[in-house]
Amino acid sequence: MKITNTKTRVLRVVLYVVLIALALVMLVPFAWMLSASFKLDKDVFIFPIEWIPKNPRWQNYIDIWSKIPLMTFVLNTVKLTLIVTFLQLLTSSFAAYAFAKLEFKGRDLLFLAYIATIAVPWQVYMVPQFMMMRSMGLADTHLAIIFLQAFSAFGVFMMKQFYEGIPTELCEAARIDGMTEYQIWYRIMLPLSKPSLSTLTIFTFVNTWNDFLGPLIYLTTESKKTLQLGLRMFISQFGSEYGLIMAASVLSLIPVLIVFLSLQKYFVEGVAASGVKG
Amino acid sequence: MGKTKLIDPDVVQKKLSVLEPRLAELQRLAEAETDEKKRLRLGRQLERTRDKIRQAKTGERFSRQTKRDMVAYSFIAPNFIGFAIFTLGPVIFAFVLAFIKWDGNNAMEFAGLNNFAMMFGNKRFLAALRNTIVYCVATVPFTLAAALALAVLLNQKIKGRNFFRTVSFFPYVASLVAVAAVWNMLFSPAKSGPVNMILYHLGVASKSLPKWSADKNWVMFTVVMFSVWKNMGYYMVIYLAGLQGINGELYEACGLDGANTWQRFWYITLPQLRPTTFFVTIILTINCFKVYDIVYMLAGGNTGVLNESAIVLVYHIYEEAFRNWNLGYASACAMVLFLMVLAITLVQFRGEKKYAN
Amino acid sequence: MKKKCLISLMMAAAMAGSLVACGKGGNTDSGTATTAAAGGDNGSTTAAETVAAAEGQTVMKWSIWDKDLTAYYQPLIEEFEKQNPDLKIEMVDLGSSDYQTVLGTQLTGSGSDFDIVTIKDVPGYTTLVNKGVLEPLDEYIAADGVDLGAFKGLTDQIQVDGKLYELPFRSDFWVVYYNKDVFDAAGVAYPNNDMTFEDYDALARQLTVDTPGQEVYGAHYHTWRSAVQLFGILDGKNTILDGTYDFLKPYYEMVLAEQEDGVCQDYATLKTSSLHYSGAFSQGNVAMMNMGTWFISTMIEKIKSGEYTDCANWGIAKYPHAEGVEPGSTLATITALSIPANAPHKEDAWKFVKFVCGEEGAEILAATGNIPALMNDDIAGMISAMEGFPEDADSTEALQTASLYLEMPVSNKSSEIEIVLNEAHDNIMTGNSTIDEGIADMNEKVGAILAQ
Repeated sequence: MKITNTKTRVLRVVLYVVLIALALVMLVPFAWMLSASFKLDKDVFIFPIEWIPKNPRWQNYIDIWSKIPLMTFVLNTVKLTLIVTFLQLLTSSFAAYAFAKLEFKGRDLLFLAYIATIAVPWQVYMVPQFMMMRSMGLADTHLAIIFLQAFSAFGVFMMKQFYEGIPTELCEAARIDGMTEYQIWYRIMLPLSKPSLSTLTIFTFVNTWNDFLGPLIYLTTESKKTLQLGLRMFISQFGSEYGLIMAASVLSLIPVLIVFLSLQKYFVEGVAASGVKG
Repeated sequence: MGKTKLIDPDVVQKKLSVLEPRLAELQRLAEAETDEKKRLRLGRQLERTRDKIRQAKTGERFSRQTKRDMVAYSFIAPNFIGFAIFTLGPVIFAFVLAFIKWDGNNAMEFAGLNNFAMMFGNKRFLAALRNTIVYCVATVPFTLAAALALAVLLNQKIKGRNFFRTVSFFPYVASLVAVAAVWNMLFSPAKSGPVNMILYHLGVASKSLPKWSADKNWVMFTVVMFSVWKNMGYYMVIYLAGLQGINGELYEACGLDGANTWQRFWYITLPQLRPTTFFVTIILTINCFKVYDIVYMLAGGNTGVLNESAIVLVYHIYEEAFRNWNLGYASACAMVLFLMVLAITLVQFRGEKKYAN
Repeated sequence: MKKKCLISLMMAAAMAGSLVACGKGGNTDSGTATTAAAGGDNGSTTAAETVAAAEGQTVMKWSIWDKDLTAYYQPLIEEFEKQNPDLKIEMVDLGSSDYQTVLGTQLTGSGSDFDIVTIKDVPGYTTLVNKGVLEPLDEYIAADGVDLGAFKGLTDQIQVDGKLYELPFRSDFWVVYYNKDVFDAAGVAYPNNDMTFEDYDALARQLTVDTPGQEVYGAHYHTWRSAVQLFGILDGKNTILDGTYDFLKPYYEMVLAEQEDGVCQDYATLKTSSLHYSGAFSQGNVAMMNMGTWFISTMIEKIKSGEYTDCANWGIAKYPHAEGVEPGSTLATITALSIPANAPHKEDAWKFVKFVCGEEGAEILAATGNIPALMNDDIAGMISAMEGFPEDADSTEALQTASLYLEMPVSNKSSEIEIVLNEAHDNIMTGNSTIDEGIADMNEKVGAILAQ
């Protein structure tokens, strides 16, 4: 396949042009966020857009730390995100293994229950859920947010789909070798599902990090609030501090990008395939 | 683990006298059956009956199948317990609410099907239903195709691959407030808006330039475009992960036969990605039916009230639940949404099963 | 095989254990502050925030929004606590954008432990009253002999079935803000306090400059329905709950014509760009903008901090009026305090409500540039004497009002009607429907709601 004729070379060039154009389209909003974060509130929505502010206002990046207890918010969010992501990964991949590779009574029914809840918008059961949490003494605790996020049906569904892609013969061979189901999960499934585990980590991380409505309803004490809640507290009917919001938004994006960049190295070909061969 | 207890021959005999004829009957049926599916089911029943006979003979407390079930349940339990308490319970409660008139505080009143009857007389509900369906029908195929194309493209060995992948994921993680604002500026309804400017130079008369998200005929189009752009990175990531599961040997085998890129994609990549596609389609459909914040940010303006031209089901549910505290009615609307999604999901499940066999 | 089973069980147990530990942490946090048995499950006070809650003190929770942006919360609390050393007020910020949603959820059921809640607007008020979660205040008012006459009839407008469930402490009304520099540049006299709508329209057109790149807009209307639609109710002949809306036509005609001629910015563009009215006015190219008095304190503060440089020379004038109507007839928005029906300390909560809505509270509000509901000449004087308030006599005079009409009157249908009115307003202003179609739409839909 190493024949470099003109046709493939042209294709390459076209490919890169398309990719670069696409990248530009994707980056425009970020460029705008960045530029807005150096502006005064009153200049943010002025049209036509002034991409490079004449007098960049670094002050925004200093002010956000003192205007709201940003540090507390960040720490709360980090804590919640880490716990939720860990629990989500562990319990979902555990449950997904049973759904994908084991035969048992009530499997389809249980799985249907999971899928069914994905289809119900949260706004509908938010009130009963809140009343239940409150009667359990969980209102205004981080634990409520953890419970809310950690046992999502989405994670189970996704992991199940990926496990189904792993050949069943592998599990059967392991069973014949005398491995228990727990060993198969730990020694075979987990190592083989690195790309999907990474995906789930990224998604759970992003969702928990950006979640707004949950913390809004459950967390009322300032010292327990999260970053997104803090951001939204700026946006108010009687005064919008957009420059600051954008500065904080830019900052809040950084951890998500770090997670994405550090995990996407697992999206390389042949992880599962090499497992089959070995 | 096989703990044996004292075997009472009479009891064993009694059990066997029921089980053995059943086994014989099942075997006869299985041999006569021609339908593949039914035969499989009979096979499973046979297996179970044999298990029971073995259990009766050896006197084990749990059959093998029960033991296998227990192991499976132990896998599911940690997630399921949390899920059942904090999600499934409230969801079931919400379904019951659909038949009740309740404002969240005063006593509940049984309403029968009143909530549903009210719904179909409500213009905002009907508009929301129509818009949601239009949105889904338009968004799902485009997002799916864009995500797949992007994933296949970014799975190649190209320079700056990490950069392009990250950039594609950007719109999804970036704050919605920010991206919606930029989008609305690019698609400004003014004649001087960047996109309208281009259209004008392409020869569109200035009177017929669309007002995008402020225009009742264009608002859904704008929302769909935005949504595809914002979410394709997300589904691309799922596809990327799915692509890693494809055995490279398959391509090598195919490469020897002189298959071209398109054939490789069509005959290997696509079929191999089936579980992923199935997952993406379902999640995408569900998410489309649940769309709310995107429309709200694009078309809500300063008042945050969506017009009939842009209202979607979840927004209607939200406004009924929290502006008017008609929790029963809101639940009924959610039930309609749920049934639609369920119907689509079941069709997809069936298709998937058929294909898998 | 057994060993593996055991390990997995232990793993599950350890996980559950960590969760329980986590839960205990949360519970002890909340347990320390609340004494009332019923409220014990919703206590949200952390140790850090109750440092000052000494022995024997009652801590009351007050729901608010925008804690850091609002200047008067802290002075109100300080003064109240000084007068009542046994009471402590703890603010709970529920955020402003979804305030009514969160408050409604918090007050649902019997587990809430709020003592005082702030009510943001009339639809939110009627919703909570209908839900039955607010305490009627009439008995407290009668017992303490509070003079409702001082509220100039506002309290009559917010009664539900003859009962009063909230007491207003802030009452903002709409005025016309103008940029003196724009008027000076055009050589036009400032707006006076006795403008008819014709005068106002003519003035706006006179100031408009449509040279590309140097546009000056004679008027600016924010995208809220109130900014245009409610011109129509100021003659006192019609209300916004009537069910027929033909009286709105002349006002929509005026504003749409202005929009067509570039006198004001295009509604559709404003809507999609989410431009805040403060952003529009502070650009320095808007001559006049109608807006509520809540904007006064923002103007003073932002000009002082040096952020607003292009509108630092400003003034206010009374709202324009229809022919034959007394100048100073304008729209009002009230902010009020209520006591939830399940409040743990109702008597003490009433003390706080009485204080904030009374004369002392009014003075503290006025000192921060906000318009208290309890308005008299002294208090108006305090506002106009503030540093940064326009110094001319006309602007001071503009704070005197004649008749006040609520932006949305009390009705148990108000939140439904509000949606219809918003939608029709949006359709008319974006050109998605003509004025006649929009009005017909309102007539039909509001008629249907009222007939229910």
